Amino acid sequence: MPKPSHDEALPMQSGQSGQPRYEKMLQECLRGELRIVNAGLPQSQKRLSNLLTEEYPYVVCNDGSTHFFKKSELAYLASMLDSDEQKALLLPMLIEIGANQAEAAIPMLSEPEGKVEEKIISKTLNMPVICEKGRIRIYKPQLALLRRRFKTTTVYVFSPKIVA
Amino acid sequence: MPELIKVRPTKIELVKLKRRLALAQRVQKIVKDRLSILTMEFLQTARDTVEAKGKLIDELSKLYKALSIAAGYHGYIALEKELIATEADLKVTAGLRNVAGVRIPSFEVTDGAKPMKRYNLVDTSSWLDEAAQLSAECLKAIVELAELQRNFELLAMEINRTKRITNALEYVVIPGLQTTINYLNMKFEERDREEKARLKRVKVLVARE
Repeated sequence: MPKPSHDEALPMQSGQSGQPRYEKMLQECLRGELRIVNAGLPQSQKRLSNLLTEEYPYVVCNDGSTHFFKKSELAYLASMLDSDEQKALLLPMLIEIGANQAEAAIPMLSEPEGKVEEKIISKTLNMPVICEKGRIRIYKPQLALLRRRFKTTTVYVFSPKIVA
Repeated sequence: MPELIKVRPTKIELVKLKRRLALAQRVQKIVKDRLSILTMEFLQTARDTVEAKGKLIDELSKLYKALSIAAGYHGYIALEKELIATEADLKVTAGLRNVAGVRIPSFEVTDGAKPMKRYNLVDTSSWLDEAAQLSAECLKAIVELAELQRNFELLAMEINRTKRITNALEYVVIPGLQTTINYLNMKFEERDREEKARLKRVKVLVARE
């Protein structure tokens, strides 16, 4: 393959080797966006029964910050569940936002088979929910209702791959 | 017309540009999702703020009514004398929560807002008790409104920022990358055609000899 002559090359904007400085900055900015959206994910989830006993219930996030739970929300959740279910429920509940913008999915992480999440969501939305492959699928209007009730006990996860 | 990115027309640069385009498209998808979630949260917060403001105004009007009745019953000087040593306990737990990458404050009145105390129950009437009770509820409503108002501001700022990023990606970055990739592809095709024509010419010259 012939080597490109110098007159074929487009003029470079800065003296960087092959990549102008602003391009690098842009790349960093884009990568930063990816980091920001999932920085608020919890490092580990806590059980509702444990959170109820804490004076200041919170979990630590990936970026080292804390995510605070409102006691009133925890009390509301506790009022819905019996003691075994309180031990099984992991908080904060994750809401996956993915490729399909009309839908969101809630992974059923509690044992057995995520029945606790199913119970909470169907009670809150006052309707039966659809469970598929270990996930509860809800639509955007239902998501708004759910978030209105559980502001601190749910968090968003962004991934283009999760929701097919 | 999107601007061409200034790169050398080489295959390596083409591969790099294609990678950059894939990254930009992935980020655009996530940023758009985030924007839709932030907008949903913003609208919800706006609705909640209006509701909380209405509730606070109602409670304040009830409180002023109760307080003016109490003042009328006891007289301003006597009421002031009673209230001089009173205090209202308010314990607020403040923390942060994360909504789609935005860290917003969360306030909660713990132990319930206790009504005012330490005024003389013998010398005062039930009108003052009612005013004290209402003032506690007002404090609770003020804390709730403060949280919502701050969330509203922070979400609005983040929506603006995210919108700028989405627009930059949609109208500047991605079209620029696509145009440059197309330009490089055309350049390589042209080079191939030149090479073929040159070979044909050489073949003809060799055949003549």
